Amino acid sequence: MAPPFTPYTFIQCPCSDSSTFNRRSPPSTPTTHHFHSDNDDNDDDDDEHPFDPRAPRSNYSLFPLEYLLYCEDCHQIRCPRCVAEEIVTYYCPSCLFEVPSSNLKSEGNRCTRSCFQCPVCIGPLSVTSLESHPDPNLIPAPDNTSAAPHGGPYILICSHCAWSSTEVGIQFDKPNSIHAQLAKLRNGGNPRMTAKERKERRKDLAQSLGSSYSAASGSGYPSHFADELDLDLDLETQFSNLKLFYQSQLANANPGGGASGGSASGSGGAFGDLGFTSPTSLSRILNIYTSTSSQDKKAKSRIGTMREALDRDEGLKIANLDESEAIAKLHAEDHAGTVSTSQLLNQTPQLHLGEPHLHGRSRFASELRPIPYLLRTKRSKRCPICRHIISKPEAKVLTTRFRIRLVAGSYIPSITIRPLSLPNASTPDPSALRPSKPAQFVLTFKNPIFEPVKITLATPALTPGRFPSKVTVLCPQFDIDANTDVWDEALKDGDKRRKKGESMDSATGGNNGGQHQHQPAAGKIWERGRNWVSIVVEVVPASLRKPMPVVLKEDEDLLEIPMFVRIEWETDAMGDEVGAVLGKDRDLPKLKRELAYWCVLGLGRVSDQ
Amino acid sequence: MSRRPPRGEYIETDTGNKVARKATLVGTQNIMLGGKTVIMPEAMIRGDLVRTLQPSPSSSGAPPNNTAVAIGRYCFLSRGCCLRPPGRLYKGLFTYMPLRLGDHVFVGPGSVVQAATVGNYVHIGAKVAIGEFAIIKDYVRILDDTVVPPNMVIPSFSIVAGQPARVIGEVPEGGHEAFELRELYKTVGNNPQPAPV
Ligand SMILES: [Zn+2]
Ligand SMILES: [Zn+2]
Ligand SMILES: [Zn+2]
Ligand SMILES: [Zn+2]
Repeated sequence: MAPPFTPYTFIQCPCSDSSTFNRRSPPSTPTTHHFHSDNDDNDDDDDEHPFDPRAPRSNYSLFPLEYLLYCEDCHQIRCPRCVAEEIVTYYCPSCLFEVPSSNLKSEGNRCTRSCFQCPVCIGPLSVTSLESHPDPNLIPAPDNTSAAPHGGPYILICSHCAWSSTEVGIQFDKPNSIHAQLAKLRNGGNPRMTAKERKERRKDLAQSLGSSYSAASGSGYPSHFADELDLDLDLETQFSNLKLFYQSQLANANPGGGASGGSASGSGGAFGDLGFTSPTSLSRILNIYTSTSSQDKKAKSRIGTMREALDRDEGLKIANLDESEAIAKLHAEDHAGTVSTSQLLNQTPQLHLGEPHLHGRSRFASELRPIPYLLRTKRSKRCPICRHIISKPEAKVLTTRFRIRLVAGSYIPSITIRPLSLPNASTPDPSALRPSKPAQFVLTFKNPIFEPVKITLATPALTPGRFPSKVTVLCPQFDIDANTDVWDEALKDGDKRRKKGESMDSATGGNNGGQHQHQPAAGKIWERGRNWVSIVVEVVPASLRKPMPVVLKEDEDLLEIPMFVRIEWETDAMGDEVGAVLGKDRDLPKLKRELAYWCVLGLGRVSDQ
Repeated sequence: MSRRPPRGEYIETDTGNKVARKATLVGTQNIMLGGKTVIMPEAMIRGDLVRTLQPSPSSSGAPPNNTAVAIGRYCFLSRGCCLRPPGRLYKGLFTYMPLRLGDHVFVGPGSVVQAATVGNYVHIGAKVAIGEFAIIKDYVRILDDTVVPPNMVIPSFSIVAGQPARVIGEVPEGGHEAFELRELYKTVGNNPQPAPV
């Protein structure tokens, strides 16, 4: 059975409309407010901006209120898609240690302490002593709180699926700095050279082989050395070799380029002047491979003097196409011995650690490596228009405080939805939406700001899509009282204000007949409280079979109402903040403000009967 | 007997705790409640699983700390959940270690918590299993049916789901207030108040 449907409200960020996004909202001065208080012209806005929550683009602009921020300078909503993020702190999500950003370049974006995830199930790995049962006589030293008090060797073990590093033949001498120890171990326990060691070893080899090595191309090494080096030609080394090689080739192909500034302006002479790292040069190299047009002939003939890498030292790596070993292993180990795609994707490309080359890598469970935890960040967020910071956490990893946190929920009303169940109604499940059967929902708007606000709502009469449902907002315009202090409210008997059936027009507000006669009526608020107002929305769901039975597309049975919300309020001219102090000097001119946005109300799924 | 007012479903303590009579609290002398905590019927707290090895018996003359489960303020333990101190071999001997919950911790129905610590403002969904010695920091939301492996550390502002648990999202800046349990506290007890709007 499907889980019960929870009604929702998603709000559209202004960044989804590129025509208005780069324009700041009009400054709110007493002279420039330009809204109308008439009831009748509500429709103007939605005619200009038809909004379809089902449109594919809407997926990218609708957010729950909690995900939205608010810029106090632009007086506008900001969403995760349009804010500019800046990283405040990097930290490991497992040991919670901060990683200085300077370390990231050298060490990579993973924890380099002892924090690893299981390569099989991604559960956390713990360091455990292999020593099974320590001598119980050695126990009483309770002041030592170390979790791994036993002697080595140590292994990593998964606390969820019980995978252990012994399955890939790896154990450690020390219980700490596992990352550094692992970098020097191949699966199976053989030592593995780090990139630095490999470089030095290569130098030693070259010297021992004498000067003939550099002249011979590719076949200079005795075969057993070649195999060993080939195995060790990791991606990083190969890349640096290739880079060096092409640099020398470019220098040879264009000997005069470096000196003369004049030739750099010509199409062929750009290399020397701009240097290898410039994007222009790179695009020229790519051009060698992609260009077929004749106009580049001159350039091509020049570049044609370049040759390709011919040996290991120049970055040539011969692919090992002989997979008979892997096939034999597959026969022996069966499907269970192989890794899944997701396990393979979780494996890290540990370039800086001298990872073996990609060819034939990690197809077997025995080739899996523990996954060092990816670092996490704390980030501050800026308004994309005015660049003011609208959210900024404290830098320390262990604190949850924010220096700045301008969340939209402190500025715009929350909207909650519940099905209306009248005491005398006979429907067993008021939340069920049946075709052509009117259903009523209570929308509650709660005002978070310290000023009273005026809300104006507009919805299309029919929801967009192939199965339009009828929508009627019984009370599209109403005022909500300020979010006054709770204690102020307690002093003046707040319960008196929680009255039902209050009419917008006090002349017709004679609905005093008790709870049972409280019926939803056009133009009337359903319920009102300290800083909230409930209204009723009536829907007549469409039949999903008209005009003939059709195959429903995904979520076509979902009844979603696009709703345009306009909020108007007055604020003190001095305090630019919305939460200006109440009871301030009343002589100050009041500023009129308004904020308007689309939202979508998800009411439920229309049943197919 | 008949003259007495009917006994409420909850025992309400001086510090505002509301403990259902049908909750199972074992070893109550080892259970510390910070106040204003709700314990629903059929919830269980294993205060009897007290640590057997004291950290440093010789260092001070203070009496040994026998707290097995410590719970902060405004926690909410739903029906059928269980708080159980974690245990492990400590230098060859098995011992339980205390389980600590911060303030505003919601534990969903049918969930089992064996963490070492749960921070403040943590929402644990229904039928969640939290393994032994897990550490859950502040403002964490654990979705229904999640299995948090033993020893896992969940940093602040994580949304966690899956078996085993993985971080699937980040609690947004505007989502902090939703962890607050003051209002929920008022809706249960012998004189429950209607939920506010
Ligand atoms: Zn946006
Ligand atoms: Zn770490
Ligand atoms: Zn595992
Ligand atoms: Zn701004």
